Amino acid sequence: MADIGYIVLSLALVASIYSAIAFVFGARGRHPVLTKSARNSLFAVCGLVSISVAVLVYALLTHDFQIEYVTAYTSRDTSLPYLLSALWAGNDGSLLFWGWLLSVFAAVVVLQKRDRNRELTPYASSIIMVTEVFFLILLLSASNPFHKLAFVPADGMGLNPMLENPGMIFHPPTLLAGYVGFTIPFAFAMAALLTRRLGGEWVIAIRRWTLVSWLLLGVGNIIGAWWAYVELGWGGYWAWDPVENAGLMPWLVATAFLHSMMMQRRRGMLKVWNMVLIILTFTLTIFGTFLTRSGIISSVHTFAESALGPFFLVFIGVTLLGSLGLLYYRSKEFKGEAETASLVSRESTFLLNNLLLVGAALAIFLGTVFPVISEAVRGVKISVGPLFFNQVNGPIFLAIILLTGVCALIGWRRASIKKLVRNFLQPLGVALILGIALFFLGIREWYALIAFSLCGFVLSTLLYEWFRETRARHRMRAENYLKTFLGLIGANRPRYGGYIVHIAIILIAIGVIGSSFYGVEKEAILRPGESMTIKNYTLTYEGINHYQTPSKWIVAATLSVYDEGKLIGKLTPEKYFHRSYQQPVTEVAIRSTLLEDLYVILVGRDKDGTTAFKVLVNPLVNWIWIGGGVLVLGGLLAFWPGKGGDR
Amino acid sequence: MRRRKFLIGGLIVFLAVGYLGYMGFRGGVTYYYTVSELLERGSSIYGENVRVNGQVALGSVEQKPGGLILKFTIIDGEESLPVVFQGAVPDAFKVGNDVVVEGHLNSDGIFQANTILTKCPSKYVPKK
Repeated sequence: MADIGYIVLSLALVASIYSAIAFVFGARGRHPVLTKSARNSLFAVCGLVSISVAVLVYALLTHDFQIEYVTAYTSRDTSLPYLLSALWAGNDGSLLFWGWLLSVFAAVVVLQKRDRNRELTPYASSIIMVTEVFFLILLLSASNPFHKLAFVPADGMGLNPMLENPGMIFHPPTLLAGYVGFTIPFAFAMAALLTRRLGGEWVIAIRRWTLVSWLLLGVGNIIGAWWAYVELGWGGYWAWDPVENAGLMPWLVATAFLHSMMMQRRRGMLKVWNMVLIILTFTLTIFGTFLTRSGIISSVHTFAESALGPFFLVFIGVTLLGSLGLLYYRSKEFKGEAETASLVSRESTFLLNNLLLVGAALAIFLGTVFPVISEAVRGVKISVGPLFFNQVNGPIFLAIILLTGVCALIGWRRASIKKLVRNFLQPLGVALILGIALFFLGIREWYALIAFSLCGFVLSTLLYEWFRETRARHRMRAENYLKTFLGLIGANRPRYGGYIVHIAIILIAIGVIGSSFYGVEKEAILRPGESMTIKNYTLTYEGINHYQTPSKWIVAATLSVYDEGKLIGKLTPEKYFHRSYQQPVTEVAIRSTLLEDLYVILVGRDKDGTTAFKVLVNPLVNWIWIGGGVLVLGGLLAFWPGKGGDR
Repeated sequence: MRRRKFLIGGLIVFLAVGYLGYMGFRGGVTYYYTVSELLERGSSIYGENVRVNGQVALGSVEQKPGGLILKFTIIDGEESLPVVFQGAVPDAFKVGNDVVVEGHLNSDGIFQANTILTKCPSKYVPKK
């Protein structure tokens, strides 16, 4: 079986090389036959890589332990969902998954753009195929998922129990699909440069690809945060770990790109800047993959050190030099850059938001690679902790949030100051009242007060705008409000999808602000019957249970939770000791409400019955996950094909 | 003219981000040593917040009743460093594994750790 997988991948490599070359020659010489064969071999690549994925999945499901990969990530008692997710659990498999997604996306692009963008698509397809070639070379050399062992082990080593969580099923594929998706906008940008079609055409062609990749990457990050929160058992959801940063950086730059794309489409501005942004986004996705797999920076996520580093560095170097070089070479041909607008206009809020987003990404990048740079330059290793990232990004993110609100109130081109003041009055009032109310409710930290007030400002702006538009339509059409409301959304999905996404970001911000400023934690050593108090909660330790399942021993502590004297429930934090895995797994217990989470970790216990707990109260964390859900909703609404086609 | 306004605006943003970065940098960086590098510094390092990387020495782990206070020694082949830690120990903490401890060295030569980071090169790949 393993051989079939490998052979099929080799054939895919040949086909992708042919396809990459034939697309270019077909398009340049206007040979429809050649273009057609290039397209067919692109489909062949997709088919062949799909077969090799099917082979690996089959091997995983049938416990073909001769394949090293199968042995390393599964065992006979691995359950079905995790057998399937083993496809992306390891380095080699996840690269195969990457290559497969890319080939599928390529096929979708070619099918979808059959009648449109005839000039751009062949070149874009060629670029996508070049990227595919890179991943196929990796799969055939340094990380071959079909590598065979010299013997057949009786059983595999199994999946690390920490990975046995629904997060494992959703987080990696979502994130990877987001990463891979950005290849398409990048390819079209390069195609635009190659064909000198530098107007709005390419930006329109990729709007939805960019949107969906951005959405997947964002959601992937949020699922990752949720996973860390419920599984890793340290009480938080984001640690500025290099690999988390690797997922956040391209997302920030892509957010900037989504906004500046709009400027090019509507106003013909920022053409060169858009090129730079998508090049950066794509490079950062590859860089992220490199960070995770090269072992260059230590992180909880790292795969074992592998020989992949040099491959990635070369690919990143070639991509950056090639694309930026091409951009420079063509720079004189960017004509008709529209006149920049007035300083008080929606355009300038977009510009500012772009600068801030890229600034944040840059700061995160520097913080992430700083240890490596300082070791290379000065020979000392310096690590940059969360404090740096929080201090830098806190104010930047708040400014971005503020702009979200301001932007909705300012018109394109030039806004009249009088109208502006009128528009601002109401939301500012809301923000002020909210700030004062929070102050009296006991929130005295000025940073948190400002942050919450900003959220209130933006939320009221968005809702007020929405309300005004509904009212206007209601007056015009004389329909009932619900129908007007729905009709309004239907009439301009990207706009209202955007509103919803912005609301989602505010919800997430509220969760982040609440949990960062008002989290409380406490450690306690208790004997059965003893109690501890944290905020308004009293936890009484009832006792400990031991029991076993076929695969593990479980130690479970039971605590009764009282809220100001009233019993509100029981929590049972646990520790698992797997038979096949030496490392214990801590299962936290969380009592979650919209207001706050009570988070209990079983730290350890002694033979005499004393048990150590760590207890945290994390306010508003749930809003982060709710915001994630709203984000999906808004993103899908903006993405869903409307009557107007690609807008 | 307008262009200049925008350039000035951009510059202000850039400087603001730079300033934030600088301030965050001053507070947020920690030196990262191996055990012997730390000990070479002698008393000059007492009380300073640092990260130290080493291997948990065999037979050195001692847990106080209840498990909240943990004592162990980390080694790097040449030198050894006794560490005291209070809190929740990460799952991947194990004798023989590489760990990074963050905290400060007291003048009695004991390292007071606030955080244990388990370097876990094997999250995805079980030890061969």
